[in-house]
Amino acid sequence: MSQQTLAEKVGVTRQTIIAIEKDKYSPSLEVAFKISDVFQEPLENIFKYK
Amino acid sequence: MDMSYKEKSLLASLGITLVLFGWYLYGAFSNLPLNPELPGFIEFIILVVGFTILEVIIQSFLAIRNKSQLEDERDKLIEKTSCRYSYGFLAVCIWVSMVQILLDARFDNHLMLTTPYGMFHFLLLFFVLAEVIRFGTQLYHYRKGV
Repeated sequence: MSQQTLAEKVGVTRQTIIAIEKDKYSPSLEVAFKISDVFQEPLENIFKYK
Repeated sequence: MDMSYKEKSLLASLGITLVLFGWYLYGAFSNLPLNPELPGFIEFIILVVGFTILEVIIQSFLAIRNKSQLEDERDKLIEKTSCRYSYGFLAVCIWVSMVQILLDARFDNHLMLTTPYGMFHFLLLFFVLAEVIRFGTQLYHYRKGV
């Protein structure tokens, strides 16, 4: 899935998806749950707390 | 460099602010010790109208060229963080101005800052610097993260 597609499905900009991937931005719970919903995966499989 | 619509818009606003207000304030402060009169009303109106027209043209051009102007939670967080820096700077400047006025009234010194011309341009300078800090910190957070 492209960053643009994910961004559109989640309702954020592509730059926000890039920032999340590069660990430059921690998304809100709402966005985190939307991302896990898109991938049909539990939250802990996508995000890890350092 | 891959820049978002918001970054381009901020960069344009920063550039216009620096060029127009920088040019005006440079001229104003060059005349400061010699000119204790009130600031030129016409020059200031020209500056504000020119700034507004230029901003509208450039922002419209950017909006036409960029299909999506979506603003999300990251944009709002960056804007809020930058406003805090800008507000802090402006608050310090206001306190400095107030102390300066108090000292001037107390010791009857006619300092450069407390003439109407000086006060007007120092307040304008503080406001412009606060705006520059707001734009600059937003651009920084877009690049380095928030």
